[in-house]
Amino acid sequence: MREASTACHASLSSERSGSLWNDVLPLKDKLFRLALRITLNRAEAEDVVQDTLLRVWNERGKWQQIRSLEAFSLTVCRNLALDRQKRASATDAPLTEREHEMRNPLPQPDELVLRKERLRLVRETMDSLPEMQRTLMLLRDVEGKTYKEIAETLAVSEAQVKVYLHRARQRIKKTIEEIENYGL
Amino acid sequence: MDYKYIEQLLQRYWECETSLEEEAILRAFFSQKDIPEELKRYASLFEAERQMAEEAHLPADFDERLRRKLGESEPHVKARSLKWNLTLRPLFQAAALVAIFLTFGLAMRLGWQKPDVEIASVEQQPGDSTSIKMVDETTAEGDLQLDSVPAEAKTE
Repeated sequence: MREASTACHASLSSERSGSLWNDVLPLKDKLFRLALRITLNRAEAEDVVQDTLLRVWNERGKWQQIRSLEAFSLTVCRNLALDRQKRASATDAPLTEREHEMRNPLPQPDELVLRKERLRLVRETMDSLPEMQRTLMLLRDVEGKTYKEIAETLAVSEAQVKVYLHRARQRIKKTIEEIENYGL
Repeated sequence: MDYKYIEQLLQRYWECETSLEEEAILRAFFSQKDIPEELKRYASLFEAERQMAEEAHLPADFDERLRRKLGESEPHVKARSLKWNLTLRPLFQAAALVAIFLTFGLAMRLGWQKPDVEIASVEQQPGDSTSIKMVDETTAEGDLQLDSVPAEAKTE
């Protein structure tokens, strides 16, 4: 009897936190990618995701009024990442893996070297885009969001989404063509 | 092989006129190993996007750290074991209530139960017959004529 009543209490307790693990936590990698695109720093991005998840969980009383929990979480994540970036005056530091990769270049066949160098330049261009354009490219090209969903997440109009995305893509295209025309 | 369709799609991609499905076609095309020379330069964009999706994963202990952090911010809920008499208390209460209702119900039924026929009066008629006057609750009153009532019955 004692075990049964203890189990009952334990199940009630896990039910209370069930929504966090079922509804919010599965978004963690998406949130991390977004935070990373904004902060360009893994440790910072990790902290942003943790703060986002805690904030979203603490506002669970409002979940009924929220149309899309994912869009809401992405908005919170972006705002927290921007706040943190402002506070820390974060610069566009290269990501840890890429730093490591650049410090330890391995001998590669020419074609592979060329491909890697192209990739590095394109990523550098992507990282140097204004925050709004970086975020937009991520939401559209990596997360596969519709223009409507992006507009809702970033609190801008769909027309503005297209304008910013157009600028970002044109910038990338220009970089690619410059590499091709003028060499690496 | 004709890559006109891919070139057209790319052209529309730069102008933000492609749908999500068409962008998926471009991504699938540029993830192949054999890409024609004239399109190779654009492969780096789609490879960069693929890298972004693949490399951005949180460390394995993230969930555990979040759980700990959440434990700090949430009020601690402690499991408490109950004694058997506390666990069965609602059952005892329900049984007691049923017993009270049954007792009252029985008492009321016995206490207010009246005979259906009451003897109102016994009159000695001339001769040997006795008239007993009865009051019936349901059918009003009536008479019963007894022609031969034993002497003992008459005196009682």
